Amino acid sequence: MTEPFLVARNIAKRFGALTALADVDLEIRSGEVLALLGDNGAGKSTFIKILAGAHPPSDGELVIEGSPVAFSSPKDAAASGIATIFQELALSENLSIAENVFLGRELKRSIFGIPFLKRKEMRQRVDGLLQELDAHISDPEAPVGSLSGGQRQAVAICRALNLNARLVIMDEPTAALAVAETRKVLALTRRLAARGCAVVLISHNISEVFEVADRIVVFRRGRKVAERLAAETNHEEVVSLITGAHPDVRALEKTN
Amino acid sequence: MNAVRQFRNGVISMNGREWSLLVACLLAIVVFAVASPHYATSGNAITVLRNSVELLLIGLGMTLLLAMGGIDVSIGIVMGLAAIAIGRVLGADGNPLLALVVGPLVGALLGCVTAAVVVLGRVPAIVGTLGLLGVYRTAVFVLLGGQWLSGLPATLTNLLAASVLGIPVPALVIASAYLAVWLALRRTPYGLHLLAIGNSEEKARLSGIPVVKVRFMTFVVSGVLTGIAATFYVATYRNVEMSIGSTLALDAIAAVILGGTSILGGRCSLLGTVLGVLLLRILQNGLLLIGVPSLWQPVVTGVLIIGVLGFEAISNRLPLARFQRARA
Repeated sequence: MTEPFLVARNIAKRFGALTALADVDLEIRSGEVLALLGDNGAGKSTFIKILAGAHPPSDGELVIEGSPVAFSSPKDAAASGIATIFQELALSENLSIAENVFLGRELKRSIFGIPFLKRKEMRQRVDGLLQELDAHISDPEAPVGSLSGGQRQAVAICRALNLNARLVIMDEPTAALAVAETRKVLALTRRLAARGCAVVLISHNISEVFEVADRIVVFRRGRKVAERLAAETNHEEVVSLITGAHPDVRALEKTN
Repeated sequence: MNAVRQFRNGVISMNGREWSLLVACLLAIVVFAVASPHYATSGNAITVLRNSVELLLIGLGMTLLLAMGGIDVSIGIVMGLAAIAIGRVLGADGNPLLALVVGPLVGALLGCVTAAVVVLGRVPAIVGTLGLLGVYRTAVFVLLGGQWLSGLPATLTNLLAASVLGIPVPALVIASAYLAVWLALRRTPYGLHLLAIGNSEEKARLSGIPVVKVRFMTFVVSGVLTGIAATFYVATYRNVEMSIGSTLALDAIAAVILGGTSILGGRCSLLGTVLGVLLLRILQNGLLLIGVPSLWQPVVTGVLIIGVLGFEAISNRLPLARFQRARA
C-alpha cells in the first residue's frame, strides 16, 4: 500500500459544549474512493468541512503527504490540492462551461499590458477534460444554467481537476439527480479515482456506495465507529453499523 | 455551424431582441416620416444622432453596471457636475487640453465616490446612488449659484465638431468607446468576473474573483464615460443649465433595459444598448415633431421601462419561455 495522501489524527470539533466530532483517525489514499456514511448529525459534514478548510479542528492534526497542515480558509485547503464539490454547486449559470472551469484563474496573454483571455486554449483544455471524464455535452458554449444536474456535476468536477485537485470531496453528488444522471456521476467518481485522485464521497444511498467505494467509513454520534473494505462487507452489516445495532458498535459505545 | 457561431460571437452580432429593436427603429422612422413633413430630412437625422451622443456613452457604462447587478441613478447629475467643471475651465480661458481632460477626470473622481459608498460602504446601489443624487442636485445648484453657465468659448466645439478622414469626431469617440467596452466585457477576465458577479456575488467570491476590485473599477469606468459625455455636452451647447442631466439616468436605464440587458444582472447586450438609445431618441424627436410637447418625453421613457420589464416578467412566468431563456 502506498503512502496515504492525507492522514487525519485525533480530529475533534467542539461547538461550545457540543461535541460534534471526537477522536477521528482516518487515512485518505490517492486513487481510492472513500465513502463516508452515517445518519444525520453523525459528524460527516463537520469532518469534510474541516478537510475543506471551512472549520478549524478543535483538536488533532491533518497531515498531507507527511507534513502537517493547518487551514484557516477554504483557499488554504485548495492550495493544498483539496477541492470540495458542494451540493449547491458554486457555478455561474450565465457563463459557459469553459468560462466556469477557469473562472477566477483564467488563461490570459498580455497585449499592451491588457490581459486578454486565451479563449481557444481554455476551450481545448476543457474539451480534453470533458473527454477524459467521458462526459458528453452537446454544446460546450451553452450557459451552464441550461445543463442538467449531472452535466453540472461534470463541470464542477472539471473545475476541481483544473485546479489540480489531489483530493476531491463530493457531498451528496447524486442527491438531486435522476437515475440515468446518477449513473453518469458515479462513473465520473470512479474515473476521478482512476486518474489518481483521492475521492471522498458522502452519500445516504448505500447501494450507490457499494457501487463506487473502495473503502467505507461509518460515523455515528461524532465518532468513527467502523472502517471496512467495500469488498469485505455487505449492505446489512453497513446498515447495522449506521443504526448502532451491530455488536461492534454496541461494544464501542458501552466503553465510552 | 462554426461560421455562424463566429459571426454570432463577433463584435456586432444580432439576436432576436436586437433585430426587433432595429425593426422598431425603422418602423418609427417610417411612421414619423408619414406624419410630419419635417421629419425625413438629413438635418433632422443629424439632430437625432447628435442628441444620442451623451446617452450612448452613458448607456455603455450603465450596461456594465446593470450587468454587474448594480445601477447608478445619479449618473445624469454626475454629468452635470463634470460639465460645470469643464465650463469653469473654459470660462477661465483655460487651455484646450485641460478642458478635454477635466471632464473624464471629474467623472472618474465621482465614480470613486459612488464606488466608495456602494462597494466599500456596502450600501445597495439603488439606495446609495439615490442618496448621492440628492446631494449632487444641491451641489449643482450651489455651484451654479442659481444661474446658467452660458456663452462659453467655442474651444471644445471646434475640436469636437471636426472630422478625421471625413468621419466626425463624436462618431470616432463613440466607436472607440464601444470597442473598448466590448473587448473588456467579452475578451478579458474582467468581463467574465463582471458577469459572474451579476449572476451571484457570493458564488463569484467563492470562485476566487476579486469582487470588490471589479465592482469598484466598473463604477469608475462608468464615471469616465460620463465625463466624456459631459465634454460633448459642453462642446455642443456651450452652456450648463440648472436642470442638466435630470432625465439622463432614466433614459439610460430605459435604453439599456430595452436593449436586452437584465435588470437583475448577469446578462447584457452592448449592441442592444446602442439600438435602445437610438430608438429612444427617435421616439422623443419624432413625437416632438408631430406636436407632442417635450413634457411628455419622460412619460414615454417611463412607459417603455414598465412595458419591457412587465413583458419580461409575464413571459418568464411561462415555463417554456424560461427554458428558452436559459438556452439563449
